[in-house]
Amino acid sequence: MTVHDMKHAASDSARLEAVGGRLSRVDGPAKITGAAHYAVEQQLEGLTHAVLVGATIAAGKVSGIDTRAAETAPGVLAVLTPDTIMPLNGASDWFGNPSPQPTFLPLVREVTFSGQHVAAVVAETFEQAVAAAALVKVWYDEMPAIVDLSDGKAGDGIPIDAMTKEWGDAQAAFAAAPVRICAAYNTPREFQAAMEPHGLIARWEGDELTVWEPSQWLDGMARTYAEWFSVPFENVRLVSPYIGGGFGSKALALAHSAVAAAAARMLGRPVKLVLNRPQNFTSYGGRAATRQTVAIGADRDGKIQSIVHRGVNETAVDGMWVEPLGSVTSIMYATPNFSSKQNVVRVNTVVPGAKRAPGENPSAFGIECAIDELAHELGIDPLEMRLINYAEQDPHAKKAWSTRQLREAFAAGAEAFGWAKRSPQPRAMRDGHQLIGWGVAAGTYPVRRAHGEAVVRIMADGSVVVESSSIDMGQGTYTILAQTAAETLGVPVERVSVKLGDSHFARAGVTGGSRLAGVMTGAVYKAAGQALDELIGLALSDTRSPFQKLQANTLQVRDGRIASPRGEGPEITIAELMSAVGRDHIEAKGDTLPASTTPEERYKNYTTIAMSIPHTEGEYSRHSWCAHFVEVRVDEDFGTVRVSRVVSALDSGRLYNPKLAESQWKGGIIMGIGQALLEEGVVDRRHGRIVNGNFADYMLPTNADIPDIQTISVGIPDPHSSALGGKGVGELAIVGIAPAIANAVFHATGKRVRDLPITLEKLI
Amino acid sequence: MNDQVTISPTTLSLHLTINGRDHALEIEPRVTLLDALRDRLHLTGTKKGCDQGQCGACTVHVDGERVLACLTLAAQVEGRTITTIEGLADEGGTLNAVQAAFLEQDAFQCGYCTPGQIMSAVACIREGHAGSDEEIREYMAGNLCRCGAYPNIVAAVRQAAQELRS
Repeated sequence: MTVHDMKHAASDSARLEAVGGRLSRVDGPAKITGAAHYAVEQQLEGLTHAVLVGATIAAGKVSGIDTRAAETAPGVLAVLTPDTIMPLNGASDWFGNPSPQPTFLPLVREVTFSGQHVAAVVAETFEQAVAAAALVKVWYDEMPAIVDLSDGKAGDGIPIDAMTKEWGDAQAAFAAAPVRICAAYNTPREFQAAMEPHGLIARWEGDELTVWEPSQWLDGMARTYAEWFSVPFENVRLVSPYIGGGFGSKALALAHSAVAAAAARMLGRPVKLVLNRPQNFTSYGGRAATRQTVAIGADRDGKIQSIVHRGVNETAVDGMWVEPLGSVTSIMYATPNFSSKQNVVRVNTVVPGAKRAPGENPSAFGIECAIDELAHELGIDPLEMRLINYAEQDPHAKKAWSTRQLREAFAAGAEAFGWAKRSPQPRAMRDGHQLIGWGVAAGTYPVRRAHGEAVVRIMADGSVVVESSSIDMGQGTYTILAQTAAETLGVPVERVSVKLGDSHFARAGVTGGSRLAGVMTGAVYKAAGQALDELIGLALSDTRSPFQKLQANTLQVRDGRIASPRGEGPEITIAELMSAVGRDHIEAKGDTLPASTTPEERYKNYTTIAMSIPHTEGEYSRHSWCAHFVEVRVDEDFGTVRVSRVVSALDSGRLYNPKLAESQWKGGIIMGIGQALLEEGVVDRRHGRIVNGNFADYMLPTNADIPDIQTISVGIPDPHSSALGGKGVGELAIVGIAPAIANAVFHATGKRVRDLPITLEKLI
Repeated sequence: MNDQVTISPTTLSLHLTINGRDHALEIEPRVTLLDALRDRLHLTGTKKGCDQGQCGACTVHVDGERVLACLTLAAQVEGRTITTIEGLADEGGTLNAVQAAFLEQDAFQCGYCTPGQIMSAVACIREGHAGSDEEIREYMAGNLCRCGAYPNIVAAVRQAAQELRS
């Protein structure tokens, strides 16, 4: 009946507002004028302020807390300790597995990492709470801590059998290979370091809890709060209209969230708690430190015969995080023999977490440096080396790629970069006292798929409202969903308002793993299609409609006007039709779940990650791909490294909005430059503290560190990856940047640094 | 953790001139300009990223110069002219050239560092430090952006500087 065939969309992408158009951010005007109110900026009557006190040891027991001075300080309403905070129920994990502990105390007596919350002060003003928190005295029985992976007490760790991937006889084939390389690659503890700190405002009204909190997963976090406080899921409302960056860190309700919500419940007043910047380095996990060894055996013509890979990542004493280190190793190159195994090692840290491309990022650092080492060993150009070993299908899953434009990425990137002019020998290119190096590396990220739900409402005035509990932390969700609804319904994009970030809207799963755009454009496309069907159905059949006498099979909507496709009969606006048929709105809720899905499965789908669809489901293996070409300039005397040029060619499938996708790609590349050259959580060996937990000492790239970056889209629509043909964007581009830089540094200097970040002392 | 610390409940009566409007405040002397703006005056466009003078998210103008509101006590700026992101567009709502260029060049993603970037950029141009991309990068280096909008920020500042010169 309807005409919303998306096949025409790709050719229509010159139109700004269509899917694929370079529309500027629809949430942009609010963000550039200060009108965008982030979660903790809500102004509430009777708001109180909480400040946390963190442990100054990494392992041991709290032997005493003296709260008397804090309690009598001006403005103080409560000082909470493990003895006085209300106990909560243990909540299930993000897979939906029940907590092993029946109760959960968000303030601890047993300390397992430095900075762990041991007390909290609530006061009338922020300044009063900060001052009183400094008056809380804590005594400890300190125990020896395992400070990091290199600690003598750390041991070899726990094998994670689920990470083992093997085919052929990798050890024997490696031993028999005529050319062999083997090296160890390390990445340090890194932090997401979003500019907006973590924090929340919690308010109870009876048994109903409202939480304003930056969130990558409203429904998942609402579930956690509901379980902690034993209230129905529907009683918890998460509000997160804008998120000041997440990068994986803002998907879970954390201990500090529980402290604020418990304090609000105990006091009967709303509580605001925002982690200060140093607490943002200890209250939730960054990327786990990793160690890998990669051994590659090859023929003399460069053909890989075997890859043997071993990996280790750190995890917490009382929590498990596996950073899948074999994820890129096992799919990037064709090899008849392969073995990858991984251990995790418990150290005294907060549980590590997801940071942009968890797994793929450090995995690519290992294999993409190793292939470069092999190329050098054989005297083969590193780009040619990658083409010699190009994987024509998924070597692990043994399935066809849905789409893999990696060859095209290598070609387009090399051409734009001028790779053919590269002198093969290290130290062969220089500009005065600067050694110049060119490096290449590939990256990939799987297409993680899930289901989402959206409401599309056509209003009496012809405007359109889209609602979803998904979120926009800068990826452009507001914008691409407006484009999707506008194109599907045939209305101007400025008539569409998108509302996100409220868990009482239609449901959505986690925003992570670069899955949201594919999931939500699919859901909005479906809901908008249903709304359009209803609109056209009314126009054709309602006795009050001017089209009713037309006896047409269908109608089309363009620029908000309804007409017969053949141009017969009237042409009226949506508002005129709504008025004629006496409707104040048309609403459709669309989701991408199968119709047979039960309510329990729906709940599980949105509040856990247990129902994510494997990227190798069915006939295909689905991934985004990229090739990075990097130029570095290394000061020969001082060993300082500057990235002077980046050209990246990327295959994210069809881009819903290239302007915003390019920005995300550049953002990933820049975070990768930070990883390669600057970022490292430094742990004090005596007390296991992060000593550089602030923005002056944990160095993020600044504007002055970043050169021009050229991105080239080589993707084609991938119908196996999403409803509208896109693959993941946000995480892809960071994967492969650090090895491309390390390879360029080797080319510049002849020195192979396998231990990130590449700082000057490692080069001189 | 010092028993000897005493906390004075004393408050000050202050008058601040922000975006051309007078605001009366009764606050403790230790309240920063940043917290006065955000918590007392509900001008939340100015962001708190680090509260330690390390990120630039709280950049505002005091007498036309860029200042970190987190390292400035509210009491220090009485009688001076304060401009925040909310006061940058003109009264009719017409965007400042820098704001418009940020939107056009997609010079932000999450938007959290953006008010500080824009306030810095306006001052950077006014200071005469937007003559080349190299210079813009250097003089905008005090404003961190974790989304990595830097190349687009440079493009926006370059565009706005050209528009303001012509």
